Amino acid sequence: MNQPDKYVIETDGLGKSFGDVQALQNVNLRVPRHSIFGFLGPNGAGKTTLMKTLLGLIRPTAGSGAIFGYDIVSESVRIRERIGYLPQQPHFIEQMTARENLLFTAKFFFSGPQTSLRARCDEMLELVGLEEKADRSIKGFSGGEKQRLGIALAQVNYPDLLILDEPASALDPLGRQAVLDVMARLRKYTTIFYSTHILDDVQRVSDTVAILNRGQLVTSGPIEQILNGKEGVVYTLALKGVPDGLGKRLEELPWVTNAKVDSNNGTSVWQISVSDEASAEKDLLRYVLADPALTVAQFNRKKYELEEVFMEIVKGDGNDR
Amino acid sequence: MTANLELQRVNERKGLRGFANLRRKESQSWWGTSRWWINALLWTVLLCGLTAIMLFASNDEVTQATEAEIAQAGGLIAYILSIGLSVFFEFGAPMLAIGTVILAQDLIIGEKQSGVAEWLLSKPVTRRAYVLAKVAANALPLLILLVGLPSALVYGMLSLRIGALFPLATFLSAVGIVTVHTLFYFNLTLLLGTIFNNRAPILGIALASVLGGGILGGFIEPLFYVTPWMLPKVAWLTATSQLIPAEIGIAALVASLLWCIVFVFVALAKFEKMEF
Repeated sequence: MNQPDKYVIETDGLGKSFGDVQALQNVNLRVPRHSIFGFLGPNGAGKTTLMKTLLGLIRPTAGSGAIFGYDIVSESVRIRERIGYLPQQPHFIEQMTARENLLFTAKFFFSGPQTSLRARCDEMLELVGLEEKADRSIKGFSGGEKQRLGIALAQVNYPDLLILDEPASALDPLGRQAVLDVMARLRKYTTIFYSTHILDDVQRVSDTVAILNRGQLVTSGPIEQILNGKEGVVYTLALKGVPDGLGKRLEELPWVTNAKVDSNNGTSVWQISVSDEASAEKDLLRYVLADPALTVAQFNRKKYELEEVFMEIVKGDGNDR
Repeated sequence: MTANLELQRVNERKGLRGFANLRRKESQSWWGTSRWWINALLWTVLLCGLTAIMLFASNDEVTQATEAEIAQAGGLIAYILSIGLSVFFEFGAPMLAIGTVILAQDLIIGEKQSGVAEWLLSKPVTRRAYVLAKVAANALPLLILLVGLPSALVYGMLSLRIGALFPLATFLSAVGIVTVHTLFYFNLTLLLGTIFNNRAPILGIALASVLGGGILGGFIEPLFYVTPWMLPKVAWLTATSQLIPAEIGIAALVASLLWCIVFVFVALAKFEKMEF
């Protein structure tokens, strides 16, 4: 059942096939309102296909989807009134200047005095730092400038949802930084749903993440949760001394689900998976320290880098490359 | 961000959302650029120039004509007018069709290939509005600049040649037939743009119809009744007040008009199903 107050995008079993090729399979996606939702996947995973399906540019062959509670097939125009979209390679009317492109785009949404429309466009140019180049031909724009203009065009209607397809992937580090800055500035006004394969960017700006692989949604959730990895909450303990029977004793604890150990030069490194994070935080270290034969050299909650999680998921899904 | 109270949300008919803005953009690509006067100049010089040669300087042609031919035409002036009108309508209409095909070939396919269509359709724009804006905003300048302007000048030249006003109704009827002929090829090209993803088949099919239709009709005569292939000749016969085989003239004209409508509907249906 749709919950447009909570989720901006909701899909149920969404699928798309091109002949025999299944580009999307049973995608169940929930994008929370006011999130910066990073949508990850290797090339060819189906990220762009999913975005185009949400926008009504491609028709789904299975399942359904809703944005703001409106059906993505039958109510696409109502949805697009409240959306801004930046394609992977932004397109403009080449014979127009940046300001003219903005004015043209704004007129799909608004009518009113020309001065007010122009003021809106100026505001967008300022947002993306292109005031100086507003009246120049787009043909001379760099990749980063085009990308920023693309964001301004996507934002001109103050959308409730911004859909950005690989907004920074083709840019140099400075251009990437500029685009990420703009995204960060926009987060308080809108929900941002963007695809990328630059994991570093996702970790920097996203609060929610989904990973798509071979057309299937492999995982989705708050970035903190994703960074915990598939094993859930894991604590790492480095112990000096002889941990006789520690593994067995740990596994007897009701909230420990698994305990693995690697020994090296008299130090044993334990990976302890737990089901109850609060109990583990409170009692795990105390429990181990109760053994006078052991010295704790290191104790911390295991944190993954997004890249590790991504590689683990994508490779585990039979996508070794 | 500042909320701007002076701006209102666009209020357009649901099925034609985005039409007005797209039509303005398309019109701008004609009237806001050098495209309009280049085409106006080109077609006027080409068609009016050739017609003027026939009307005012066609001594060779006239001297080659037999007295019987001149008498059959109704005199020397009538013969000269007939030659001039033949050049304008019989030669000019296919030329205009070729020009129309060339000018319209890129309307949809160009934006499909560049990704502009995808971007436009990510805005609150219906696909129907997209196609109809192309038709509305491009058909008018094509007809004004390619058909209307040269026709007006040729009418002036005809009147000058006979020293009185050329019969207006007759001339306008012939121009109307050329308009249908031109519109047929415009709509056909637009439709082909929704079917194919590259220019070769669009140009191939449309130009084959313009240039090879008459030959094909020679083998399968009934085709003349359901195609525009006879329309240039019908236009000339109309302009010279000659007897038109009614079954061909009217049938071809009605069929061509129907094709124009069918092409737009099929283009709308094809574009509706297109994926970007």
